[in-house]
Amino acid sequence: MSAIRITDLTKRYGEIAANDGISFAVGRGEIFGYLGPNGAGKTTTIRLLLGLIKPTSGTAKLLGADIRDRRALTAAKADLGYLPDTLGFEERLTGREALDYFSRMRGDERRDELLELFDPPLEQRIETYSAGNQRMLGIVQAFMHDPTVAILDEPTAGLDPLKQDRMHAFLEAERDAGKTIFFSSHVLSEVQRVCDRVGIIREGKLVALEDINDLLERGGKEVRVQLTESVDERAFVTEQMIDVETVDSTVRFTYTGEAAALLDHLVRFEIDDVDIGDPQLDDIFKHYYGDETPSEGR
Amino acid sequence: MTAILRNESGKLLRGSLTLTGLLVMLSAFFFVVFPTIQDEAALFEAVYPEYLLLLLGVEELHTIEGFIGGYLFPFIWVLLAGIYFAYVSAGMISRDSRTRRLDLTLAGPVSRESVVLEKVGALWVPLVALNLGLAAVLLAGVAVLGESLDAVALGMVHLLGVPYLLVCAGIGIVCSVIFDRVETAQATALVIVFFLWLVDGLSQLNPDFEWVGDLTPSRYYDPSAILVHEEYALVDAGILLATFLVLVGLAVLIFVRRDI
Repeated sequence: MSAIRITDLTKRYGEIAANDGISFAVGRGEIFGYLGPNGAGKTTTIRLLLGLIKPTSGTAKLLGADIRDRRALTAAKADLGYLPDTLGFEERLTGREALDYFSRMRGDERRDELLELFDPPLEQRIETYSAGNQRMLGIVQAFMHDPTVAILDEPTAGLDPLKQDRMHAFLEAERDAGKTIFFSSHVLSEVQRVCDRVGIIREGKLVALEDINDLLERGGKEVRVQLTESVDERAFVTEQMIDVETVDSTVRFTYTGEAAALLDHLVRFEIDDVDIGDPQLDDIFKHYYGDETPSEGR
Repeated sequence: MTAILRNESGKLLRGSLTLTGLLVMLSAFFFVVFPTIQDEAALFEAVYPEYLLLLLGVEELHTIEGFIGGYLFPFIWVLLAGIYFAYVSAGMISRDSRTRRLDLTLAGPVSRESVVLEKVGALWVPLVALNLGLAAVLLAGVAVLGESLDAVALGMVHLLGVPYLLVCAGIGIVCSVIFDRVETAQATALVIVFFLWLVDGLSQLNPDFEWVGDLTPSRYYDPSAILVHEEYALVDAGILLATFLVLVGLAVLIFVRRDI
């Protein structure tokens, strides 16, 4: 049985389809990345899965419970952890009181263990928390009852880099312990780092569903090379470089081959500076899923 | 599953104590002026036409029972406390939905029914605070003025007031699940309760329209009758209680069907 199975899920708001016929499944013991630009419909899918909003058509199953069956879904949620993108904590409570509140609903057998990894100031009121502290409190409440499935919506937003790394390592350990993680993000590099498989959503439609390695191979690297002097483009450009743009002695391109081969190639030229980075999500869309740039939708 | 009930009760505590304090002070002020208006009250009753006295719900104003039942309770309990209950209840669901607090709550193994019921259940806090506070100030006031009140009647005027306040809360909770904006929900609930109170008073002026008043909750709670005549309208209280249950049921019905 899949942890999450989504079948032709559609949610319309008037003419706008926030989710349009989405289908995929997330297996147990997998970190599934749900990737898409802001406003693509990621949060809508999650809120449908949680039964917070109702599908216009199609359905989904969470731990075997149909989301249209309220009673079954409520029971299944005992085994679910959820970290929302917007953290709606009761701000007048202290961190500890908020955790007490959630533990009365779902339990907290892993609270202490989690608080060693993520340490928001528990004695302070949540209204004084920074974004990072709120996120850490969110992570603790999402995992403290040791859920089988965790749905995380932009889970590292606001966390400092150290805590982000800690979060990634934690998620990998959870996955290895057989837990299922549904990881929604608009940051490609993050999804690349921790996820096993990825679904890409754009304007409410699932445009790709694949193994992360395949995506990486096809995603390429964004490279900018500053040469000491203008160079003959024919000598410099290789087959693995696409979308090459040359301005004076600066060359920009997307590199689709192996990193080592690129470095081997570059050392043959006189170079001032090199910048190698992850391509923007929009570029991936442009290169591999059609030419139109994703617009800001719902 | 009492997590929500506990949390909501804590949330209502400060507001309830503040309100109780204010109403106690207001009541005390009423008692201060009672001796001065006592003499004029008899005159007032003699000169003013009966319909005006009816509109104000005034009866035997020169006695302590008439004063409390016809002046203090209609204002403090029926109007102010009623508005408070409607206002507070109207914020319960709408605010949590607006701030996404409900997302976190409902991600747990909690049904929407229990969210509504536990939130309504937390109204025990203002109910207890108001009843104790007001009963205390009444007893103190009466004692200071050297008057006396029938203990049973005093108990009943509080007890039978509870269903009335619950109906106001029911109006609020229905508004709370209908409207997306907290301000709209609270303003609507407040205006409805005030309007119903006004309709009840005005409808008594014209016998042709008196039946309209039957549709208002305050018609089923008459502090004057309880204190002055020791008439305990248990059936009326039952009608209010039933109305409250219907309103809560309606709120649950709407809430489980809607997107948040």
